[in-house]
This record gives sequence, structure tokens and C-alpha cells, in this order.
Amino acid sequence: MNKIILIIKREYLTRVRKRTFIIGTILFPVLYIALIFGTNYIADKTRGDLKIAMIDNSGLFNEGVMSDINKKDSGNIIKLFTGNAERFKVSFDSLGYDGYIEIPANFTWQTGSDSLLINTKKSFGIGAANPIEKKVNRLWNSIKRDSLGIDSTKDKILSKTVQLRFHNEKNKNANERTATVIGYVCGFLMYLILLLYGSQVMMGVTEEKTSRIAEVVVSSVKPFQLMIGKIVGIGMVALTQFLIWVACIFLIYNISLKTGNSGGNVSGMVGAVQEAFTSVNIPLVVGCFIFYLLGGFFFYSSLYAAIGSAINEDMREAQSLSFPITMLVIFSIALMTPAISNPGSSVAVWSSIIPFSSPIVMMARIPFGVPTTVPWWQLGLSMAFLVAGFMFTTWFAARIYRTGILMYGKKPSWKEMMKWAFRK
Amino acid sequence: MNILEVQNLKKYFATQKAVDDISLQIKQGSIFGLLGPNGAGKTTLIRMITGIFYPDSGNILLKGKNFDPENDAKYIGYMPEERGLYKKMKIGEQALYLAQLKGLSRSDAMHKIKEWFKRLEMDSWWNKKVEDLSKGMGQKLQFVITVLHEPDLIILDEPFSGLDPVNANLIKDEIYRLAQNGTTIIFSTHRMEQVEEICKHIILVNKGKKILDGTVDEVKNNFKENLFGIQLETMPENMDAPSFELINTHHKELIVRIKEGYKANDVLSYFINRGSSVVSFKEILPSLNEIFIKLVEGTPSARQFEKITA
Repeated sequence: MNKIILIIKREYLTRVRKRTFIIGTILFPVLYIALIFGTNYIADKTRGDLKIAMIDNSGLFNEGVMSDINKKDSGNIIKLFTGNAERFKVSFDSLGYDGYIEIPANFTWQTGSDSLLINTKKSFGIGAANPIEKKVNRLWNSIKRDSLGIDSTKDKILSKTVQLRFHNEKNKNANERTATVIGYVCGFLMYLILLLYGSQVMMGVTEEKTSRIAEVVVSSVKPFQLMIGKIVGIGMVALTQFLIWVACIFLIYNISLKTGNSGGNVSGMVGAVQEAFTSVNIPLVVGCFIFYLLGGFFFYSSLYAAIGSAINEDMREAQSLSFPITMLVIFSIALMTPAISNPGSSVAVWSSIIPFSSPIVMMARIPFGVPTTVPWWQLGLSMAFLVAGFMFTTWFAARIYRTGILMYGKKPSWKEMMKWAFRK
Repeated sequence: MNILEVQNLKKYFATQKAVDDISLQIKQGSIFGLLGPNGAGKTTLIRMITGIFYPDSGNILLKGKNFDPENDAKYIGYMPEERGLYKKMKIGEQALYLAQLKGLSRSDAMHKIKEWFKRLEMDSWWNKKVEDLSKGMGQKLQFVITVLHEPDLIILDEPFSGLDPVNANLIKDEIYRLAQNGTTIIFSTHRMEQVEEICKHIILVNKGKKILDGTVDEVKNNFKENLFGIQLETMPENMDAPSFELINTHHKELIVRIKEGYKANDVLSYFINRGSSVVSFKEILPSLNEIFIKLVEGTPSARQFEKITA
């Protein structure tokens, strides 16, 4: 027991003291946010703005409404074309237009046209026509309103709609939007931690094997102790990182609460965090996250340790052997999306109880409310199964590990590893 | 007193009888040579003695008691053939960690590391990393780590490979010093000249079986071919004696084999009677190298894979 603690201490300290851990802990949230906003920004920037000419043979469309609409959304522009249509159709690209729409002469305000073509000289993506389509329809709508004699007050009345939202009677504070966001964040964070730290365990084991330190160490401790020490040590590193993030969020929240509504952005963030605190049971979410983080980590990392013990220097071997394990994690994240959109469905319930997917799926469901969305029995069963699950994988992995760690040469197949695990 | 006794030890792998019924005894304070060609089963045997593998059958007695890997680790120091250390860990911390794994307290370990580092002039290494060391320096460090916790039994697998003569002598002297203080040393190698120099007692293992067991002198005597070297002042013309046959002439030295039923004195008196004055006369014993090759030769150099039904 004493020796396991020594091993845990070494694994923990060597990792936490590394510069990469400190940088990673600070940089990860920054990069994570940058990734989300960055992709939106890039998508925004790279959206191709189109300039389309309209050749109106029906005589219904008028220039004034068109320029009003173009002012509201200056990205995509429609211009009414007047002049020699035949010449324009040949040379519109050299005049700076991406394409033209020809409104047929039989286009009436009542029936319009089922479909129209944007004639271009290039190919465009599937969504590129949407903003133009919206503008054309808006133009047609204004023609329809004018013909029907609907003024702007009547129009406002007509365009009013009603919004529907869920209201959970058992949990008055429930807010499905906040819960969805927190569910996604929890699920993805779990996914990233499992994969990143799981592969750290795998590489750590392989390093010990290929540098032959394992042989020195297992002459003083049992292979099982070495494996458990490594897994627990790295698990503690993952936990430390998570707790630092939680502490940072609390700190930022409290500071910004004290300094008050100084900036629009900050107060918006505080508002969002405040809403999260009132509508979601944050201590329960954090507590469960720690449980599922450790449980899921033990479940997967012991399997990763077994693979790490089986491979040699070649990292390609690691990829091919760890593929089935990584697939399980990816499959869990695929199950998370339907689970979040309907957290009470049977897919959501069962995948949050079965050990391999439960850390990710259950963490995505918990923000929706315990015991309203997730009854206590489901949470209890899921936790018990996860504990049983990681006890089994650890037992299984330890049997592969003790053989693999001292076996050099050819990479074993899964079949051979099964033999190591199940022989007496 | 025997510090280690191995009784009918067996370890079969899926395709090989790695260790097939080996027994041996090692006296406390002796330097014991474990010899054998590559793949003979030496490493497997050592791994069972160090508690890394469980034997399929047979007993290991350490200090007269059944060997218990978990609690007896502190009595054993093992230096594997392929050196292993954490490359990125600082040397001082690493030595401290490995010594504590052997069961030493932190302060004890610290004290002993300082002592050893001082003796082997490694003081300045403390904050360096293993990847900064040369191969020979790494070897020295590995040796220190192996013996740091003052084990009763030290197992060294090819301890001199990669060491220059100066450092090899340094380690050799430490080995002698340890043996004098009562530490038992098992020395596994296939470098015979080192064995002849260092070891008292040897066993030879081949294909998982023990094929030779005895002191170096005994073994040499058992394999001697009654060869003698005689140096004479003047070479006699024709030699035709019933007591010996001439094997070889080298300068003024004759190599002769004494025939069955005769003694060395018969050869000497033959030359004395013929009036040749003898400068020197000595028995030529086979080297361990020759014995090794003689015994191992003829068996396939690489072990064949076979189907084992145990």
C-alpha cells in the first residue's frame, strides 16, 4: 500500500510540475472558447456575398422597395436590371454580377412562380441561394401586401407569432436552454478528458516498458501496484485540472459580481452564469462530474494501460490496438446528442446506465435535473454499474498488463491478449 | 549457509520450456556465475528469483525461508541486462524514488545515496536528467541504484557491457568490496574471461537445463585433457616416450598430453634422463571459454520453437 502511494506521488508530481500542465490548464479554456467563436467568425467571414441582377419581365418589382431591403442586409444584393437583357445575359460576370434571375412575364402577384433559377457561370454551395431566396420572397410579400391593401400596422399584426417553451412543473427553475448548454459542455469536457488522459496513461505505460524501467520496478513492486499507481496518479492530475477550472469560474463569477455591471459583455456573462446557478443544481453537477470523471477514467484508462503494456516503440501499433477503445468513447459522444434533445428517452436512460457510455451521457442528462429528469434510482444504478465496470476492466487489464509489460518483440493481437487475460 | 536455494524450478511458456527443472544453491558471500548462451533461460530464471515471474513449479528459498516476492524485495537488488531508468527524471529524485520502492525510508535513502554518489564521484549529477548521461555513466548510476538498499543478494545481468576498462574496474572493485562484506552476488553473463576472473562458483545453463555446476577450479579440472606445457633449454632431437604424446611445438615450448596411467613426474624424468634442462613445466587447464563452447556447440544456437503440453 505504501508503495502504491509512492508511485501515485511520483506520477502526480512529475506531471503537475511540468510546464505543459500549467500551460495546458490555462490555455485549454482559452483555446476552447477561441475554437467555438473562431469557427463562427471564420464561417461568417467566408460566407460568399452574392450580387444578383433581376431581369423583370412581369413589371411587378420596383426599385424603391429593393433598395430598402438591400440597405437592411447589405451582404447579398439584388439589383433590378434595365437595359439590353440579351447582351447582359452573356456578359453579366464582367459587369460584376454573380448571376441573374429572370422573372417570367406570367409572374402574377397572386400565384407568383413555383421556382425560379439563378443563372450563374460558377457553382455554388447548397445554402448560398437562401439569402437571395429570402429577399425575393420579401419583395414578393411587399407586392402582395400592396395589392391586398395591407398597411404596416396590419402587417405587424399579421406577422406576430407565438413562442413555445417547456415548463417543468416538478422543477420550477428548470431551464432547458441552460441545461442543454451545460449538458453539452459537461459531455464534451468528459469526452476530452477521457481521451487525453487515457492516452497519457497508455503512453506512460509504453514509456516504462520501452525504457525497461518496468523491469527494475516490478522487481520491487507487483505489476498491479505499478499499474494502479500510474492510473490513480494520472487520474488525480485530471481531477486537479478540472478543479482548477471550477475554481476559476467561481472566482471570475464572484469578482464580476462585486465589481458590478461595468461592461456590457461581462454583465452578460455574469447574467448567464447567474441563470445557470439558479436553474441548475451546480454543486450536484460538479459532484457528479467528479464521480463520473474518476469512474470513467478508471474504466477507460485501465484498458489503455493494457494496450500500452502490449505495444513496443511503434506508435502505429498503439493506434491500431487502441482503436476499439477510442471507438467506444466516440460512440458515447454520438449517443449524447439524442440524449440531450430528449433526456427522458429510453436511449438516453440506458446509455447513461451502461458503464462504457454512462460517464458522457449521464453527465449530459444531469443538468436537466435530478430527480425530475434523472430519477435517483437511475443515477444510483448508473454509478453502481460504473464502479462494477471499472473494477472489471481493471482486473482484466491487470492480467494483460503483467504479461505485456515484460514481453518484447512482436505486437500481440487482441486474440493473444484475451488469452493472457483469461488463462489461469 | 545458503542464502539462496532453488529447487526443481520450472517455467514453461507457450512455445518454450524456458526453465526446465533447475536446482542450485548459492552460499552467502560468494560470487556466483550464471552462464549460458543467448536464450538459454538465464533471464527467466533470474526473473523468478527476483519475483517478477511466478514459477510453474518448484521452490525458491531465500535465507532458508520460502521466497515471498512482496516482502523479500528489499533483500534483493536486480540490475537487468537492458538498463532501465526514467529518462526525464532528475537523477537524485530517481534514485530516491527507486530506493523508497525497495522499502527504504526517505531519510535513510537520502543518506545512502549521498554516500554512494560521493564514493563514485557522482555528486554533481543530482539535478541532471538521465538523458544527459553517457551510456557508461548511466550504467554506473544503474549499479548504484541496484545496490543502494544494501540487499543481501545482488543479481547483475551483464554488468560490464558498455563500460570502459576504468569504469569496469571501478564496478569490479565495488563488487569485491560488497562480497567481502557478506553480500552474495549472482553474475549472469556469457563473457567467460570475466567469470573466470571474478566468480568462484558457476553453473552453466543451456536450453533451460543446468548442464554444469561447480567451482571454477573443479570445472576446469573435470574438463582437463592432461595437457602440459614444457619449456626446455635445448630441444631434444626425437621424442618417443611411452608416457606422453606430443601435441604441438611452439618455439621452445612443447605441449604434451600425458597418457593414461602415467604421471607428470614420468614426463619430467624422461627429459631429465635425456639431459635436457627443464626451464618450466606447467599444467594447461582448459579455459572456461573452451568448456563453454565445447558444451554448447552442437546444440542449435537459437532455440527452436516447440509445442509444449504441460
